[in-house]
Amino acid sequence: MSEVKNLLVLPRLRVQNANAISSPMTWGFPAMSAFVGLMHALERKLFSAGINVSLSSIGIICHDFDAQTTEGGYIRGFHLTRNPVDKTGGTAAIVEEGRVHLDITLVFSIETAAAESEHSNMAHQINDIVAGMRIAGGSVVPNRSVPSHQQRPQWVVLDDKEEERAKQFARLKRRWLPGFALTLRDDYLSGHHQTLQQQNPEASLLDAWLDLSRLNHHCSMENEGQPNEKPAWQVQRPYRGWLVPIPVGYGAISDLFNPGEVANARDEKTRFRFVESLYSIGEWVSPHRMKQPEDLLWYVDNDEEADLYRLNNDYHLRATAQ
Amino acid sequence: MAITQQLGIRSTIEQFLKERFDTKAEKLQPDDPKYQALVEQFQFDTWINDAARRVGQLQVVTHSLKPIHPDAKGSSLYAPPESLNKHNLVGSHTLSANFAGDVVGNAAALDVYKFLKLTFEDKSLLERALENDSELAKALSGKPEQAQAWISAFAAITEPRGEHASHTRGKQLYWLVGDDAADVENEAENFRLLAPLYATSLAHRVFQTINHDRFSEEAKDARKAKREGKYVEQPVHSYPNLAVQKMGGTKPQNISQLNSERGGNNYLLASMPPSWNVRDTRPPLKVASVFSDPGVFGSRSEVRSLVKDLKQFLEKNPTSDMHTRDLRDDYTAMLMDELALFAMQMHSLPAGWSSDEKCELVSEEAFWLDPGRAVEDVAFREARNSVEWSEDIRHRFANWLNAALGGKLPLGDVEFRHWKKTLAKDMTHQRLLDRDRRWMESLMEDLTNLPGGDDDE
Repeated sequence: MSEVKNLLVLPRLRVQNANAISSPMTWGFPAMSAFVGLMHALERKLFSAGINVSLSSIGIICHDFDAQTTEGGYIRGFHLTRNPVDKTGGTAAIVEEGRVHLDITLVFSIETAAAESEHSNMAHQINDIVAGMRIAGGSVVPNRSVPSHQQRPQWVVLDDKEEERAKQFARLKRRWLPGFALTLRDDYLSGHHQTLQQQNPEASLLDAWLDLSRLNHHCSMENEGQPNEKPAWQVQRPYRGWLVPIPVGYGAISDLFNPGEVANARDEKTRFRFVESLYSIGEWVSPHRMKQPEDLLWYVDNDEEADLYRLNNDYHLRATAQ
Repeated sequence: MAITQQLGIRSTIEQFLKERFDTKAEKLQPDDPKYQALVEQFQFDTWINDAARRVGQLQVVTHSLKPIHPDAKGSSLYAPPESLNKHNLVGSHTLSANFAGDVVGNAAALDVYKFLKLTFEDKSLLERALENDSELAKALSGKPEQAQAWISAFAAITEPRGEHASHTRGKQLYWLVGDDAADVENEAENFRLLAPLYATSLAHRVFQTINHDRFSEEAKDARKAKREGKYVEQPVHSYPNLAVQKMGGTKPQNISQLNSERGGNNYLLASMPPSWNVRDTRPPLKVASVFSDPGVFGSRSEVRSLVKDLKQFLEKNPTSDMHTRDLRDDYTAMLMDELALFAMQMHSLPAGWSSDEKCELVSEEAFWLDPGRAVEDVAFREARNSVEWSEDIRHRFANWLNAALGGKLPLGDVEFRHWKKTLAKDMTHQRLLDRDRRWMESLMEDLTNLPGGDDDE
């Protein structure tokens, strides 16, 4: 991703009833693709409203969340909102939905031909438009947990000089505290896969993914052979940081069909493909650990040769370079 | 060799038919007409022929539509791991060759699927049918044409029924493949319609792994040992905040065969961020200062490792060139971040926590870390307003850092002033103070304007 020039920050949005089931195998926070989808929808909305900007990447900082699930016990269930009946009075088929309330800051990389004097005005217009949109299926509602001056949208023109740019980013990221930004750790996934393969050549990427998604408690003997020998249970983590399994896009499971070839498609002019969700490992990072805006931004990074429709984020490039 | 393969396959099938016949005929007398009908039905050619017809009611899939919505009608697909692109993300391509295929369709025809899952020499009849295996053909029939027709029918079990279709209840999303989402004129080229199906074979493997980690005898023994503090080699795997999503309600078989085997349960792994909740933040009680040595602040693991790194860096006695200053400034910035983070966590505690009798903080630190208390507590507010406590905080922080970096490396006045100056320049710290000042001003204004005040007659 090339260096970002302008940032649009929409701070502290309260989103009610966002979709907490992010994929067939993950829950707790909406999929990053939902936010990227919001970005594309927003860009199109702005275009038709005569606001010409281009949005190319998006970052999320989560300040607070409240998952609507059952508490207690080992397994969480979802609070269901409805018990519908069908025509015959029987229970209609439903798909369980999980919901979560969020307090988030959205950060876009933004470009426009408009003069700098218009930026602030545009930022407010965009903020108003976003307030009327769905974010990951949830609605934007007034955020009463922070004073209104902390909710003002901001347009930041990043300086060309590295030093100045760093200072600008330092000011920004402290406003994003407390909170966590989602970053991508493909590097941990493949690294851990290699580690597992050293013990078992059959170990798959899926094994590595599951291993990073759980806690592994191991027992070892302290003071072995001595009178004060005792077993000690510990959680072993291969990497530091708050790692979570996340969906990052889709992979093809069929040919690419020409427009109209598949019945009941949403339109007759776009090419169509059956896909499955693809997964990687994400890391929730406190913004104060980030060095540059690119660390938290996500963007579409398809590999059509490999039939991959996926998102990417560059945080690991800097994190591993250290 | 070939003869024995052919015979082996044949006898595997015959064995299967015999077992099924025996189960069905168990309660019937040989003179019962129903018994005779069964005998007819289980004639090798008759049964195979019927199975080749009934197989049309089933589809073997790796990716199914029903879990997306039970009322959706449209294509489900068979896309085995080896047919998918290899890449570095987790998807169905990571499954091994012995993955579990799922079956959708008429549950009454499931015996045909059981038949196709029969294995001879590590290869299922289904695999053989898909490969158009000549040994299977010979085992099925002496007439090559007949055998070929059956094999084609069986192999078609992985084919989608009818034309490819999605459904209004299915999911379809527009995915950007071009450069510009807002380029309306070229949007047909700029987007693809993606229809996600449920990767049921992958989900099954994940389900089996998690269930093994939760319910297997080894897992139970290991957890018991852990609870009792005993030694056991087997590790305990736990999945924090694991959730379960039900599919198909009381009739999981309506979704698919594997869903039925999972009892309609679908595990979801947790992706949520760490919680900032006050639950995790404890007020600094029974200490006079958060900046004692190492103190509440200095004991935070991030602060500790930063201080350690900075100390090591300074101890190398680096020449004071540009690079040195850069690095030191980096460390400084990170320490400031940690300080800001710490203050904000304290501010998120319920206002007035510092009035707890177990709170022994010096008043300046209470002023800094519990600003909300000033709203209700008049004495606190007045005291807070009357002293330059922020200067004191800077002084304390600088002293703390001096001590933390000290020992081998005593700091001189120059460095001491440097740290104090940095904090005075730090934007977050200043912003907190400014916010405070503004808030105090408006509060004072409100107070003087209160009805019943001194000026009110």
